[in-house]
Amino acid sequence: MTIRTLLQFNFKYYRRHTLLALLCLTGISLGVGIVVAVELINDSALSSFESSVDFLSGRATNSIISTFGRIDEKHFQEIWTNRRVTAASPIVDVIANTLETDSEPIRFLGVDPFLDAPFRGWTPQLSGKDDLAAFFAGDPPGAFLSSDLMKRFNLKVGESLTALDAGLEKKIRILGPLTEDSSGGLGENIAVMDISSAQEVFGRIGRLDRIDLLVEGSVSDAFPALPPGLKITDANSRKSTLTAMLYSFQLNLAAMSLIALFVGVFLIYNFSMFSVLSRRQDMSLLLTLGCDSRSLVLAFMIESVVLGALGSLAGVIFGYSIAAYSVGKVSSTISQLYFLVNNLNVGLSLRILGIGVAVGFVATAVGVTLPALEVAVTPPVLGLKRQSIEDRTKSARAYLFMGGAAFFIFSCLSVWASRNSIFWGFASAFGMTTAFALFTPGLLSPFTHYLGVVFKKSHRLLDAFLAARNIGASLSRTSIAVAALAVALSMTIGVDTMIFSFRTSVYSWLEDALKGDLYISPDTTKWDHPLPETLIKKVEADPRLDSIERYLALDVYLQGRPVKLRVIEPEILEKKARFKFVGGEESHKAWSQIIKGGVFISEPLAFKFNLKVGDFLTLDSPDGPKNFPVVAITRDYSSDQGTIQMDRSVYISIWKDDRVQSIALFLKPGASIEDVRKSVAALFKGLERTIVSNHEMRERVLSIFDKTFAPTATLKGVSLLVALLGIATAMMAILLERSKEIRVLGYLGLTPTEIGKMNVYQGLIMGVASFLIAAMCGLLLTYIIVYAINYRSFGWTIDISVNKWIFVETLGLTMAACFVSSLYPSFKLMRASSAASIKEE
Amino acid sequence: MDPLIRLVDVKKCYSSGPTCEIFPLAGVSLDMFQGDRVILLGKSGSGKSTFLNIVGGVDSPTEGRVFFDGREITRMSSQDMAYFRRKEVGFIFQSFNLFPTLTVGENVTLPLDLLGIRDYSRAHELLNETGLNGYWKKFPEALSGGEQQRVAIARALVKGPRLILADEPTGNLDQETGNGILNLIDKICRESDATLIMVTHSPDALWMAPRRYRLKSGVLLEEHYTN
Repeated sequence: MTIRTLLQFNFKYYRRHTLLALLCLTGISLGVGIVVAVELINDSALSSFESSVDFLSGRATNSIISTFGRIDEKHFQEIWTNRRVTAASPIVDVIANTLETDSEPIRFLGVDPFLDAPFRGWTPQLSGKDDLAAFFAGDPPGAFLSSDLMKRFNLKVGESLTALDAGLEKKIRILGPLTEDSSGGLGENIAVMDISSAQEVFGRIGRLDRIDLLVEGSVSDAFPALPPGLKITDANSRKSTLTAMLYSFQLNLAAMSLIALFVGVFLIYNFSMFSVLSRRQDMSLLLTLGCDSRSLVLAFMIESVVLGALGSLAGVIFGYSIAAYSVGKVSSTISQLYFLVNNLNVGLSLRILGIGVAVGFVATAVGVTLPALEVAVTPPVLGLKRQSIEDRTKSARAYLFMGGAAFFIFSCLSVWASRNSIFWGFASAFGMTTAFALFTPGLLSPFTHYLGVVFKKSHRLLDAFLAARNIGASLSRTSIAVAALAVALSMTIGVDTMIFSFRTSVYSWLEDALKGDLYISPDTTKWDHPLPETLIKKVEADPRLDSIERYLALDVYLQGRPVKLRVIEPEILEKKARFKFVGGEESHKAWSQIIKGGVFISEPLAFKFNLKVGDFLTLDSPDGPKNFPVVAITRDYSSDQGTIQMDRSVYISIWKDDRVQSIALFLKPGASIEDVRKSVAALFKGLERTIVSNHEMRERVLSIFDKTFAPTATLKGVSLLVALLGIATAMMAILLERSKEIRVLGYLGLTPTEIGKMNVYQGLIMGVASFLIAAMCGLLLTYIIVYAINYRSFGWTIDISVNKWIFVETLGLTMAACFVSSLYPSFKLMRASSAASIKEE
Repeated sequence: MDPLIRLVDVKKCYSSGPTCEIFPLAGVSLDMFQGDRVILLGKSGSGKSTFLNIVGGVDSPTEGRVFFDGREITRMSSQDMAYFRRKEVGFIFQSFNLFPTLTVGENVTLPLDLLGIRDYSRAHELLNETGLNGYWKKFPEALSGGEQQRVAIARALVKGPRLILADEPTGNLDQETGNGILNLIDKICRESDATLIMVTHSPDALWMAPRRYRLKSGVLLEEHYTN
């Protein structure tokens, strides 16, 4: 029998079972799709960000930045006149929202157009004296915007743009578009202004954010010594520094990707294996008729290549769509937590295409070839008996269970090993899901048996009794489908419980840390927008206030890595807030020591820099490096880079910087929060946007938290969908293979409705079994994610909180989805049973 | 006395287009009374199983009417036909068709469960009668062909149906075991006064019924034999 004949035989099978063929292809493509989507999101975040850094760096060979967030502009003269410097451009780089562009922030770049010309092509083409005057000394100051931004928001030349600086409105006149070439075609939201206008508008008089340089020869020769706190860098090291900030975020996505890969491969295997197993008898018959086993296996391998190719192709398209849908949420999360990225572009690279196709091909090939090999080596007479594979599955249960136990032990050991490398954290999660997947046949068999006994004893649920027994009887099909669904559900439960625990921990931290009755400008601290002094003085003068706490957050460098420096007022916070100290220090001692020049550090900082109470850390200052003793380690979820908290008066005395980005207002007893809010908001136009109550402040933080985990929800949904397709396929398999038994039920007097109900019960029981396995596995996964993955990558402690509603919701969703999955097979069954007749051999 | 089963000019045709191409039943009429026994003979594909399915309410005729105890089953909905089979008809198949997922006891009591009868004493009695006492918790795969057919007979008769339809019940068994099965069907039908229609190819089974019919070209021809 030729390969061609066998392939034609296989093709005819798919033509006869179009729906099954479609389900199989959908399963493969969804599995590939999940993996491709995660990889695309990960890649696009990084590459968009890198392109943005390259674009903004222009032709600069190097840049000078400050290790404590700002450069005194007096240093520019000294650098510019350095003989080895061919060109130097001072830059003010501010990110701000505007009323006209709604939620899309704009990067305002203050440049000197003459000094900047050698670096970038965006120097605006000033057409005449008027333009020149408007750019350099316009009132309101003028800016050129990227043409794409103007098009998208229908902004016109001559109109005003209202930038929000610490919530206060600042008018900027639109002078015209930057050319497509000069704005890089990156979709960046850029506004180019004169540097002195930018300094004035955004409260940065006398300071620069960086100085771009064109340097001849070696940089170290050109700058043997720089003023204290300044650091020379280049685009590549900026990229790697900022990419390092994304490490934890990407690790999170990578974890999802790995789990998705596992679920994807498992399900593709499930679908492919099913497509072969349902032809097991045909294959044995072909062997009986003289087909040689090598040709048979080869034919199935060729089939797997075709299936893998079609499924992978569809999967890549599907993954691309998912990524395109989710990328907006991801870019918003990165912008909120790390740095501004505009309009992430989803680009399919050869690497991702390769990963997607490899996953599709390998999983399909294994899924098709293994069962084909099994049939090829089985004597045809056994293969012809449907029961023989069930017998084999039954006898394999014990071995599978033992394999599961081995993986379980491996997973526990990996948790212990994760203290050395995060790799073991992932290995542990993988081991745990594999363990429960292998436990499934061993658990499903007694579960359905005893469930059947209960239904039988109830005398009412005969259809449910038969359904339970059918599942137990088709263990070779049902256990794989149940295991696949259980893996997807356990991932859902594990990740959801982790997110809930994390959210609860963050909420409890917010409750303790945020005690102000009102807050001003909390949103813009990440963009360093100082509040005007006049505003603070006016607010302070309000007799209804008990006290105010001034707050400043800066990006500083610790051992060359960016961390957050938070400048606080300990005298007020000691009385008003409840900090959670986790380093074993006494609260009152810690507060008294911070006033004397000590610092509090957050858990992630202590973890990443291996610092303990009593250690010293060194920060750059205008007077050179300064050492600060660590006096406490605090529970703090505000930044995964880590934070240092310092007394305001200590900070001012060293850095000579008394700016304030945010203030907390503590009211006297009896004062009305709403009244104070209204009167404070009336002090400056636009302040009502940034003055928020304690409750609103917490909600804002939590909404950022929720956004961070938004992509997880999309992936979770897709994994669940794939797993449910698995259930539908398994039920179709049972329907095909047990059609005769089902017809006998019709002869015995089961009505078509009862037969349909039996099938629905089958889906529901499989759903319940999957849920029960997933509940156990999911809880263990939560512990692994929290202690072996999250702690190892972020360094913060999360108190595990179990939310019963996660379980109720997952069960409800599973039951609803299993019900829907079972409808089509049930409908087919009801139609078949009404015209039932048994063809006797 | 009214007949228990009445078939009036029953026709069944199978077609792949608008016109009938195959007529397994081309106008069959028959009356059978309570306790009657009929043997149905015919070549493979002559329509014997179709006849049983139509009488048993599993299939519907293309034309003609079928009555059971005065009720026209050909006018029943699929739901009512199922209730009719549940209560009145016991099927015995050539390949036993036991549920491999259910124990012997569960297979036999399934028709009682369907009728909502919680008293399984009749099931125990029948298993005793068929010599399968002690097999209650065994699965069908552990039984021989003859034992499986005895379980199938117990399952068909446990609810006390008025009509028993047997489709070559000894076709998969050796002669000795087959004879044992025929004796068992005869004994139980006699005790319960059930009406029996049995399709068979086996000459050993002809003693079971005085009335024998042969289906030929869709027509039912009565045959007379002398022992």
